[in-house]
Amino acid sequence: MFLGRVVGSVWSTVKWPEASGLKLLLVRPYCLADLAGAGGSTQPNDDLVVCADRLDAGPGDDVLVAFGHAARVAMAGALPAGQKPSVPIDAAVVAVVDRVEIDSV
Amino acid sequence: MIRGKIIGQVWGARHVPGLDGRKLVLVAAHDAAQAPTGRVVVAIDTLDLRSGDDVTVAFGSGARNVLRPGPDNRDLVCDAAIAALVEGAE
Repeated sequence: MFLGRVVGSVWSTVKWPEASGLKLLLVRPYCLADLAGAGGSTQPNDDLVVCADRLDAGPGDDVLVAFGHAARVAMAGALPAGQKPSVPIDAAVVAVVDRVEIDSV
Repeated sequence: MIRGKIIGQVWGARHVPGLDGRKLVLVAAHDAAQAPTGRVVVAIDTLDLRSGDDVTVAFGSGARNVLRPGPDNRDLVCDAAIAALVEGAE
């Protein structure tokens, strides 16, 4: 998982049927310098990640994003035992963040 | 897996059901010289560790095996988990 800020959204009309109805957000991951303040000596990460969202997050929200199977399970919800989620995504918002506490860097 | 240091914690009341009751920590990844690379990941912590602790973080099915070992863990919403507290490295 990573912590990031929602910076926008994307939409499409041509897609697989399993992807219809999905809301997709653009999320910019926080790097250490973002969290540690100006004292950070690390490179910013400007790569944006496209994430499916079912928690109604919007631009400006800080979110947690999960990758891979965890993302598909998060979007599919409860599934019968042994059945794999069929949603064609690999990143999803799993929490809208209320509070971040940085103790030591 | 990666190695890193716990730098803090995050909370979110609005989350998917699979994250109920999970402690989520921020881990700054470290390189071979034990210096931060700049990458920060969020991992589920089942060992109740503190900020400043050196840890290893497992991803993917390895992370699910931390929470519930075995084949019947594909219902878990977990792609990163603290696998171990590091006591020494050379």
